[in-house]
Amino acid sequence: MSATETAPFQPLAFQPGDRVAIARVNPPGHRRTPFYVRGKIGVIERACGEFLNPEELGYGFTGQPRRRLYRVRFRQHDIWPAYRGSTGDTIDVDIYEHWLSHLPD
Amino acid sequence: MSGNHDHDHSHGHDHDHPGVKPEDTSAPGRYELMTLAMQELLIEKGILTPEKIRRGIEALDSWQPSRGAAVVARAWTDPAFKAELLADGNAAVSRFGVDMGEAKLTVVESTSNVHNVIVCTLCSCYPRGLLGLPPDWYRSKRYRARIVSEPRKVLAEFGTVIADDVAVRVHDSLADLRYLVLPKRPAGTEGWSEEKLASIVTRDSMVGVAVPMPSAT
Amino acid sequence: MAAHRDGDPDNTHLSSAREPGRGYHDIGGLPAGPVEQDMTETRPWEKLSVVLGNSLGIKGAKLVRTDEVRRTREELGVDLYNELGYFERGTASLATLLIEKGILDKDELEARMAAIAERMAEEGR
Repeated sequence: MSATETAPFQPLAFQPGDRVAIARVNPPGHRRTPFYVRGKIGVIERACGEFLNPEELGYGFTGQPRRRLYRVRFRQHDIWPAYRGSTGDTIDVDIYEHWLSHLPD
Repeated sequence: MSGNHDHDHSHGHDHDHPGVKPEDTSAPGRYELMTLAMQELLIEKGILTPEKIRRGIEALDSWQPSRGAAVVARAWTDPAFKAELLADGNAAVSRFGVDMGEAKLTVVESTSNVHNVIVCTLCSCYPRGLLGLPPDWYRSKRYRARIVSEPRKVLAEFGTVIADDVAVRVHDSLADLRYLVLPKRPAGTEGWSEEKLASIVTRDSMVGVAVPMPSAT
Repeated sequence: MAAHRDGDPDNTHLSSAREPGRGYHDIGGLPAGPVEQDMTETRPWEKLSVVLGNSLGIKGAKLVRTDEVRRTREELGVDLYNELGYFERGTASLATLLIEKGILDKDELEARMAAIAERMAEEGR
């Protein structure tokens, strides 16, 4: 990150293995977290870096401050109650930090 | 919407207007006209030039699954390259002349234990620089809707049956990441050259709806 | 041959807008039929529509951002979104954005479309 860019949105980063809840909100506008994971619980698989916030870029704003992006892994059986497949099947979704909150282990 | 879905292609018309020429023979639909009108107006306003558009078409035409296949074959034969590809996809594919731009290439490796498949449920994000424009089915609502919730069934429709003891891992790419599946190198390809390996790496195997078949050559 | 350009027979029924808070484009997990695997050839104007977007984007004229075009596509309205094919949605959302930004004028665009249609008809299309 260059000196001209601002610090990330949240001082506290998530770590791989952290359990996280996805915000159960349905705000209007350009959003990059799909409906099917809102309100669900997953695990941080890895941090993917910091990006201009697409939900602001969509309206012509600068996208600052940058937001951390995480790959969050969900058990398929946690997302789809009637899921047919192995218990090890997962879905990985890229989610920005402002959609995430920590859960106790 | 227009009724111009089914028609023959016929090339070779001459038009004395700058930029890309309409080559279809059917009456143009509203959105073809809109595209051509935008092109003309943007050129007249000095925002784009015919040269820039021509170069853009050439670049688009150069984006082919063979580029992704070359990357996969290298990763199969060169462990150091594979490590770099998995750690920093953009840097690794830049060696092949592929510029990911602002997007972050994320390569996911399928193994004996995990089978990866990619989708973009919100639009149709796709690693175009490595695979070209996405195929019709990847853009289709049916694929976008179903691959996340019943991946094994959709994969079976593509003729790909994943054993129960192999985890199916779906990746929904939504904004800034672009995924490429690094398929598992099939048995029976020991000693193959990079070129021969690349020949069995299909587009579908790099999306994850298929697996490479050594018998395909 | 598929009746729909996108091989997308669920174009209308797969609207998710009836679910509160869910965008009509946000369709992950909705029930749908078998994936149609037929391929169609990309037409010249469809390639052009992609190239115009790329040329105006961050690697080109830097006038539009990917997320802006995504956003105008999500604002096409459910009927238009469901009616249009993939490249048509792309062109419609790019035009909307350029008009919104004042780069193109709506009347100017419509007038040019009419002029091009007339020209193409004279040339046998």
